[in-house]
Amino acid sequence: MTGAAPLLELRQLSGGYEPIQIFRDVDLRVDPDSSIGLFGPNGHGKTTLLRTVSGIIDPWSGDIFFDGQRLNREGERGSRRSRNFNYDAVRRRRMDPKAVARAGLIQVPQGNLLFPEMTVAETLSVAPAAAAGRADPKQSLARVHDLFPRLHERRDQKIRFLSGGERQMLAVGVGLMAAPKLLILDEPTLGLSPKLRLELCDAIRAIQAAGVPLIVVDQDVEFLEQIIDTLYLFDHGSISGRIDKSDMPSHAEIMAMLFGESAA
Amino acid sequence: MTAETFMFVSAGGLVLGALYALMATGLAVVWTTLGIFNFAHGAFIAAGAYIAWQVGGVLAFDGAVIAGALAAVAVMFVIGVLFHALLVRPFERQSNLVLISVITTLAGAAVLENLLNVIWGARPKQIPPLAAGDLTAFGVTVSRNEAVLLVVVLVILALLGYFLRRTPQGRAMRAVAQNREAAQFMGLDVPRLYALAFGLSAALAGLAGVFIGSIRFMTPTMGSDPLLKALIVVIFGGIARFTSPIYAAFIVGMVEAFSTYYVGLYWTPAVLFALMIAVLIAKPEGLFGKYQRSVQ
Repeated sequence: MTGAAPLLELRQLSGGYEPIQIFRDVDLRVDPDSSIGLFGPNGHGKTTLLRTVSGIIDPWSGDIFFDGQRLNREGERGSRRSRNFNYDAVRRRRMDPKAVARAGLIQVPQGNLLFPEMTVAETLSVAPAAAAGRADPKQSLARVHDLFPRLHERRDQKIRFLSGGERQMLAVGVGLMAAPKLLILDEPTLGLSPKLRLELCDAIRAIQAAGVPLIVVDQDVEFLEQIIDTLYLFDHGSISGRIDKSDMPSHAEIMAMLFGESAA
Repeated sequence: MTAETFMFVSAGGLVLGALYALMATGLAVVWTTLGIFNFAHGAFIAAGAYIAWQVGGVLAFDGAVIAGALAAVAVMFVIGVLFHALLVRPFERQSNLVLISVITTLAGAAVLENLLNVIWGARPKQIPPLAAGDLTAFGVTVSRNEAVLLVVVLVILALLGYFLRRTPQGRAMRAVAQNREAAQFMGLDVPRLYALAFGLSAALAGLAGVFIGSIRFMTPTMGSDPLLKALIVVIFGGIARFTSPIYAAFIVGMVEAFSTYYVGLYWTPAVLFALMIAVLIAKPEGLFGKYQRSVQ
């Protein structure tokens, strides 16, 4: 599908937390109706990259295109030479997380704690803010309840009383309520029991089968293999490899690629 | 103490409690949503009173006071939004925002109070009562003005509770208060919700100013004493729920009324602070507090 315009394209994207650069020159492309996986060791900047894509932190340089529009303001980040000057007072943000979400690029962040004192139903009622009229909230809600019947049972429960698995289901449900054109899932199964993991993986497969393209970060290559078309390997803050579904390697081979032959 | 005196003092305590509830809730809206303490809240109270006085005085028809009060609430909302844009927003991403905002809101309060002084002068003024005459109920006579105050405050607080719990905007505001980043990922307009919180808070302060101006004399610094009381209320009650400062306000109002009657006006602040310290020793998160920062 290389001929079609990409749904999401990162061009030479660099960024991090001032003054420390976390990732550099990342080129990444998601074609329409295809999903990608992002795989790499912990602490190498995957989450920071995705937070930048969603506009939570500003990119330092490079561009993010989504659905035919540029998400960041043009140009380079200005220099921030002095640590004693409040640049926020004079410089505009390069990205607006609200605009990113309203364009349909939705992220379910890693380990999302959501809103401890709000109920499940209240949280799901706030979520369609980003859908901006792209979907009927009632239909989205029915879909979320179909996918996670547990959320319907627990609708009047406060989030702080939910289990880790329920909370993760809610986080994914919140993402769906926003009518995503592309859904980013950052380690959706992190810290879940094997049983809950399988349940959530089934749900994610169902979401993808319903036609929502995904970017998934996960440590389980076998799971990724089932849902994605392209796997990007990410380590030390940049893309180190791109593998198509047809020649997806085994877990051992990936370990060897990332950590050298001796690790395999 | 006769039953009559008891009722009389209680009525005074209720009115005070209603005033404190209005001020403390306004303070708590900003505190819980943005996580900062707005020291300009007292100046907002004074500004609201002067705007109502001016508008009511210019219009000068029957019920002009009410038009003045509405104008005060509307103008204070705008001033609150402006204060947020000028004094808080530029520092939002600084790690020491809490400290910076102490300085900037104090500065804002000084500027606003002196502006009031320049425009209207320091000579004490008074807003005519919102309703004239007296009212006798349960064996006590209170002014109609104070009865109106009590009813209006309760209605406003009920509306605010409805707004926070039932409307999309109010729920979004609570969401931002509890987890700013998750709210950003959801596409909520965080800066706008912050501005809304500041505007709402200032509008509540403006209304409180109108009431204070109608039962006491107004001066540009009339807000500093109520601000202190509102601070006591918020710390005393905690902010675990939207209703905690309201309960606390009525307790503080009652204690103040009875302590003024028994120990006298000068020792009342000392009594209140002693009470607050005692509560904080036993329950550091406030009387109704839980360990967290959120409105619910």
